[in-house]
Amino acid sequence: MSRNVMAHDFGSDEEDDDFNPAPADDSGDEDTKQTAHRGRDDDDDEDDEDDVNTGRAARHRAGSEDDTRGRGDDEDEEGDNDEEDEEGEEEDEDEEEEEEDDDEDANAGRPRKRRRKAGVHSFFEEEAGVDEDEDEAEDDEDELAEFGGEMHPDDMDALPVGAETDDRRHRQLDRQRELAASMDAEKQAQMLKERYGRNRAAATDAVVVPKRLLLPSVDDPSIWGVRCKAGKEREVVFAIQKRIEERPPGSRNPIKIMSAFERGGAMTGYIYVEARRQADVMEALQDMTNVYPRTKMILVPVREMPDLLRVQKSEELMPGGWVRIKRGKYQGDLAQIEEVETNGLAVTVRLVPRLDYGLNEDIGAPVVDPKRKRPGMNPAVARPPQRAFSEAEAKKKHAKYLSATSGLGGKSWNYLGETYVDGFLIKDLKVQHLITKSVNPRLEEVTMFARGSEDGTSNLDLASLAETLKNSTAEDSYLPGDPVEVFRGEQQGLIGRTSSTRGDIVTLLVTEGDLAGQSIDAPVKSLRKRFREGDHVKVIGGSRYQDELGMVVQVKDDTVTLLSDMSMQEITVFSKDLRLSAETGVDGKLGMFDVHDLVQLDAATVACIVKVDRESLRVLDQNGSIRTILPTQVANKITPRKDAVATDRNGAEIRHGDTVREVYGEQRNGVILHIHRSFLFLHNKAQAENSGIVVVRTTNVVTVSAKGGRATGPDLTKMNPALMRNGMPGNTMGPPQRSFGRDRLIGKTVMVRKGPFKGLVGIVKDATDVQARVELHSKNKLVSIPKDILVVKDPVTGQTIEMGRGRGGPRVPHGGSGGPPSAWQGGRTPMGAGDSSRTPAWGGDSSARTPAWSGMSGSRTPAWKQDGSRTSNPYDGSHTAYGGYGSRTPAWNAGARTPYGGSGNSDFDAFAAGSRTPAWGSANAGNRTPAWSGASASNGTKDRGYDAPTPGGYSAPTPGAYGSAPTPGVSAPTPGAWADSAPTPGAFNAPTPGDVSKRPYDAPTPAAFDSGSRPYDAPTPAMGGSAATPGAGAYGDGDGDDGGPRYEEGTPSP
Amino acid sequence: MFFLKEEIKVITLHPSYFGPNMREYLINRLNEEEEGRCTGDHFVICVMDMVDIGEGRVLPGSGQAEYTIKYRAIIWKPFRGETVDAIVTSVKPTGIFTLAGPLSVFIARKNIPSDIKWEPNTVPPQYTDHADQVIEKGTSLRLKILGVKPDVAAINAIGTIKEDYLGPL
Repeated sequence: MSRNVMAHDFGSDEEDDDFNPAPADDSGDEDTKQTAHRGRDDDDDEDDEDDVNTGRAARHRAGSEDDTRGRGDDEDEEGDNDEEDEEGEEEDEDEEEEEEDDDEDANAGRPRKRRRKAGVHSFFEEEAGVDEDEDEAEDDEDELAEFGGEMHPDDMDALPVGAETDDRRHRQLDRQRELAASMDAEKQAQMLKERYGRNRAAATDAVVVPKRLLLPSVDDPSIWGVRCKAGKEREVVFAIQKRIEERPPGSRNPIKIMSAFERGGAMTGYIYVEARRQADVMEALQDMTNVYPRTKMILVPVREMPDLLRVQKSEELMPGGWVRIKRGKYQGDLAQIEEVETNGLAVTVRLVPRLDYGLNEDIGAPVVDPKRKRPGMNPAVARPPQRAFSEAEAKKKHAKYLSATSGLGGKSWNYLGETYVDGFLIKDLKVQHLITKSVNPRLEEVTMFARGSEDGTSNLDLASLAETLKNSTAEDSYLPGDPVEVFRGEQQGLIGRTSSTRGDIVTLLVTEGDLAGQSIDAPVKSLRKRFREGDHVKVIGGSRYQDELGMVVQVKDDTVTLLSDMSMQEITVFSKDLRLSAETGVDGKLGMFDVHDLVQLDAATVACIVKVDRESLRVLDQNGSIRTILPTQVANKITPRKDAVATDRNGAEIRHGDTVREVYGEQRNGVILHIHRSFLFLHNKAQAENSGIVVVRTTNVVTVSAKGGRATGPDLTKMNPALMRNGMPGNTMGPPQRSFGRDRLIGKTVMVRKGPFKGLVGIVKDATDVQARVELHSKNKLVSIPKDILVVKDPVTGQTIEMGRGRGGPRVPHGGSGGPPSAWQGGRTPMGAGDSSRTPAWGGDSSARTPAWSGMSGSRTPAWKQDGSRTSNPYDGSHTAYGGYGSRTPAWNAGARTPYGGSGNSDFDAFAAGSRTPAWGSANAGNRTPAWSGASASNGTKDRGYDAPTPGGYSAPTPGAYGSAPTPGVSAPTPGAWADSAPTPGAFNAPTPGDVSKRPYDAPTPAAFDSGSRPYDAPTPAMGGSAATPGAGAYGDGDGDDGGPRYEEGTPSP
Repeated sequence: MFFLKEEIKVITLHPSYFGPNMREYLINRLNEEEEGRCTGDHFVICVMDMVDIGEGRVLPGSGQAEYTIKYRAIIWKPFRGETVDAIVTSVKPTGIFTLAGPLSVFIARKNIPSDIKWEPNTVPPQYTDHADQVIEKGTSLRLKILGVKPDVAAINAIGTIKEDYLGPL
């Protein structure tokens, strides 16, 4: 009883929204009263005071009701209707009111001061008559005393007041009971609802104001703190409750206290009793064990009363949450809550056991008094490591302690009195033995729990776990600007946007309805995000769809179905896990990897990422198979080459962004995402699997449409073709020769150093000698800016890049040939530039030329092939060979080797240094080949060279030169080269002869050399044939390949 | 919704085009580049007329001329809630892909009335309520745009036919 009383009187401080209301109508009345009070005490912070006064009014009513209840003889009925929740109580009260009316009717002898009107009006009157009421309360008591005096002492305690004077109440009660019994429960409920539904509605409306006004004042009963035995507080309170039941307020010798409670925790050793007088407390606690009313009681100041009753919101424990153990063997260990008992006092937790299975038991150890702690044995320190429970190990030594029990969820073990399920220890613990605040579970600890998840996989999604741990606080899922809706509580139905969040309170700006424009605070609990169909959203956490982007297709309460942008699949998530997204297209990213990226898996395999999971990537490789790989397995990411070109089945040019269709098979079509060698990675939006990625061969597709319909008309920024047709464009005008090729500034990211655009960054679209057309990032505008006020920046890091003019400039132009740039050019050009003599050499033959050629052929080849293997082989091979041979070879080496050896870039430097050329020059003017083959004899000759020297060359040096070492090296690469170069020959017939020497070398060699390096005969015929006379033509071919023609055509890119 | 919008475009002209047909070149160029373009926000349907071609300005250094052209164009900006007619381009278990003019609209399964069911066994596969409503490739649909997602040079939209008067025509 005392608990109920307590709940009533001091509910004011609790957070409970639904709490017992002074119904709506109160407030109006109270307002008037409030003003009255204000008139009286207008001093300092008496806002509070007002509250207190009015609060008292409400409180008092409750108090008197309780009196009534106590007095009521309808305990049975109350028992029927009594419910735990407040609403039930409300009903009770009302019912009691009515009965009270009857009561009063019955007590005709009593002055009818407190006649209540029905319904709402009763409240009015009551409130208005508070002061009077209070007096009356005392009067009542007096009266009671009087009546008591007249009664027979035996009846006094048991019978309610007035019972002895009239038996009408008995009859009435009987009637009521009959009536109640005759109605079935449903009807009863219906009736009650009808009767009190209205009140409830009213209550919800007006909770706000009265709650604040319910604070206690000096006129309210005081609270005394009474000493008691520490730890027995609760017991004492129960004892008081029992005593009140024995001697209810209406009885003869009532306990006159209003309530009693204890605070435990910080206030151990005290109980608190609410009563009007200290004497009442004394009386109530008389002869009670464990409580010491005789010692000094503390009167709690009015101001502190609310604090005394403030309920500290205890950490809400949820199954699945994390706690730590305070003490014992598992002290400090992380535990997962399995189950929370309804009273919230005990929880079942899951722990990773620390067991040694008796292995460390020292059988011979002296028996120690269990009560005495062994010195230096702190159980928390010397304890076995955390490990999953293993029945096998337990059986070894402790089989007798182990028993298996099979439950619903699989097998569990009982070992040494503890339960183990799935390797975890399941333990019931009291909340006070747990640390529930700032648990901060570490990832590795959590990992232990995740192991043995339902699918039994051990690969744990670490990242997501980390994320869930971090995101466990709900408030950070609300960002300013999020559209939200209040879905419960007083402000239910409000719609607005969050403007700020603080703790778990969100301030929102109402955007719709009557309150539009106002800012309102609401707890996170009562909010949910609001999305409309068609909103573009991102999943921000809490689910496995994290980072997925999509468009909302359906909203149902707080679950939202969205259509993923990438996979075109429907995903259903909670709205709290969503956020409006302005991002377009960027779906999940894993480090540097993004969906649709092209990655190199190994030398021969590339793949396109189709899905980025948190830890792994799903890729579609060039063979069309799907694999799941780890980011570490990716050799490197291939930066997309937007200018890559391929040809389709019909020979039409296809580029990145074009739409193509498969000719055979499924006739899939899609937009080209990547071109890699002969493979195309297409994206088809209408395909759900593999995120719409398809891999096809270039030879198997036809173009459907070019990208965005490339403008077909003339390019107005280029020369007018019409004019070209009319006259010879080259002759007529001959635009001033640009200093060299394409301006290197074009395409670079630059920053403007001065002028009106100072500081702005843009990309150079076009450039002349002095000016550059810059597309500014910020303005989407093309402006012409003098080049000298531009600084080249790295587009990513923003660092300034030196664009030195060094030798780069003159080097770039590769002769007048001006072939269209193609893949291999890059490699080649510098080469050509490397020896400035090249172009001239080209024109003439003779000494200058050959070296140039050879130089080219040397460095070019690698460029061609673009696979390192070939380049290195031949040269290395040849080096060694040469190195080992003859007088000349050293020279050769000195000159040639360095550049070659450096294969790749260093090559050029060496070249530039010119160290090589001279060597070559000296070596042989006309024919490189002979030189190569090691024939010094042939060197002198030039034109003649092919005829004379070649044979000589071959005959003489070959044996030596073709010594085992060089030959294979040479032979190996060459064939490849030639195969590639095959087309060119024709072009070069004329110049070639000079070069013949080289040819034989390459072409025939393989056969010759392979067959046997030593045997002179074998190679010679072949070589001879090719080398000398007849070969001329053939050689020509070969040479063509080597040098010029290729060059000019620029066609073959392998 | 269709709008008549005034826009500005800058076109650079090579000196070789200077001459009597200059204007023509510019207009052709403009039409070519603008009509059918998607800005991510709207589609340019048709260039109506040039308000002002303006004077060309020769760019120093290159000799090219730069023209700032003001023109009016009919644009179409799809809005959420707009009802459009579209043609089904493909039918998948996840939903229906349609094309409303230049705009591709996807109708997710959730946005198809529940009585219209996926029928994969017919040729071609279709959504049908086994009565008069059949949705397959080529069907004309009336749909309502639910959401519009702008991209760099494209617009993607999702739509619904789960309302009165929507569905196959």
